[in-house]
Amino acid sequence: MANPLKCSVCDAVATVHLTQIVQGKVTKVDFCEACAAKGGAGDAAVFKLADAVNAVTPAPAITCPQCGFTDVEFRRRGRLGCPSCWQVFGVALGGLLTKVQHEIQHVGRAPAGTVPVGQLRHRLLAAQVELTAAIAAEDYETAAKLRDEVARITTQLDTL
Amino acid sequence: MSVQEILADENELTHLLGAQQAVVLSTRVRLARNLEGFPFPGWAKPAHRKEIAERCIEALTQLPRFRKSHVFKMGDLPDLDRAVLVERHLVSKELASGKSGAAVISRDQTCSVMVNEEDHLRIQVVKAGWHLRGTWNIAEQLDDAIGATLGIAFSDQLGFLTACPTNVGTGLRASAMVHLPGLCLAGHIEKVTRALSQDGLAVRGWLGEGTEAAGNIFQISNQQTLGLSEDAILRHLGGWVKTLVDQEWNARRKVAQEEGERFVDRLSRSLGLLRHARLLTSAESMNMLSHLRLACDMGCLPEERRHVVDRLMIEGQPAHVQARQGAELDSDGRDRRRATAVREALRDFPEVGSPTA
Repeated sequence: MANPLKCSVCDAVATVHLTQIVQGKVTKVDFCEACAAKGGAGDAAVFKLADAVNAVTPAPAITCPQCGFTDVEFRRRGRLGCPSCWQVFGVALGGLLTKVQHEIQHVGRAPAGTVPVGQLRHRLLAAQVELTAAIAAEDYETAAKLRDEVARITTQLDTL
Repeated sequence: MSVQEILADENELTHLLGAQQAVVLSTRVRLARNLEGFPFPGWAKPAHRKEIAERCIEALTQLPRFRKSHVFKMGDLPDLDRAVLVERHLVSKELASGKSGAAVISRDQTCSVMVNEEDHLRIQVVKAGWHLRGTWNIAEQLDDAIGATLGIAFSDQLGFLTACPTNVGTGLRASAMVHLPGLCLAGHIEKVTRALSQDGLAVRGWLGEGTEAAGNIFQISNQQTLGLSEDAILRHLGGWVKTLVDQEWNARRKVAQEEGERFVDRLSRSLGLLRHARLLTSAESMNMLSHLRLACDMGCLPEERRHVVDRLMIEGQPAHVQARQGAELDSDGRDRRRATAVREALRDFPEVGSPTA
């Protein structure tokens, strides 16, 4: 049987083995259980490794004031903490949303009793396109209707 | 309130004659909703989850649609009862595996709302056969009724706010449970699955995420929930289901024509085996029942027998078999009980004839 690995700090038999890879450079450190628990004080390699361990779980950069949820927690779970998190993490989530949803603007229903802003915006864009097409086709009757619709939705959105 | 009532009550998926259709077993619509001002269930403290559950159950049971509804708190239910609800698709595995979730299920089992799953509310409507608009209309009415009593988390920019970014926006997941033995027999299923995934639809097995397609049954659903209107999501799914149904019929007719007597022999053997087996595993019975459903669709067996096949598919699942027996059974015990139930249900089935459809 091969010689057991020794603890990098105290030469006892090592039972905890850690590997650090920084820009392709591999550093391996072995600890006995006691030194692993102490954090292996006094050895340069151990300090480097401690840095690496800290780098894996960085301090949170964003925290939701409403529920205390953090960006670190989001990376771990892939779920948010509360509805307010969407506002707090909004910018950070933009890239992810484009990846999983391909879109970043809601165009569907709204809760009962509220104005469906998303639907209105969606219709406004579509009506503007249809209006341009109607004018190009010299269909002035349709164009007039669409122009009124565009004006009505614009007023509705402006008064919100 | 007992899960035995769910088993005993006749509902359209298992009993209603005439509700079943060829190819599409059921249509389902799900909406993810959350209460304003509360952490999502996965991050909420137990006290918050309790308060959320109480508020939601109180509001839901006031709605006309949930008059005399079943209310199940997962923490109060034995393992077997929770497994029955999962097999019926009335609750998810995720909800059943936690203690703080609850489900409110309408008397006819068409509507159910999961409370404290990944989101505070998961509103679900299911109908036998292919009824996308009808199913959606009920879900929309329920959503409005719930939104009128509970403050729902919503933003103009992102729509309905959910715990997971994959549900934000409409929170809508619409799906069809489809039976595709023709495409499976013809060896086209992988090609079809690939085409669906490339066009933004998810294809899963009979029991949802990560399950095998037992009995040639697949669940097709939309993936994108943001940046599309509910109508656009439904139209996209509806278009594909129509194509899928056409392709499935083409494959069935082609296989039946090419195989001739062997096709009828295959279906007939399945009926024979199901009628005489003393021990039937879940997978085996699903695959044989798939042949019987195909036989009913193609006129090899009378169409009015189709609902018996559908009921056996649902009731042949492991937790259902044990719940019917009223006791936990080992593997052989389940296989024996399943075989007995199938044998009895198929006793007066006529012989398998030649296809007419």
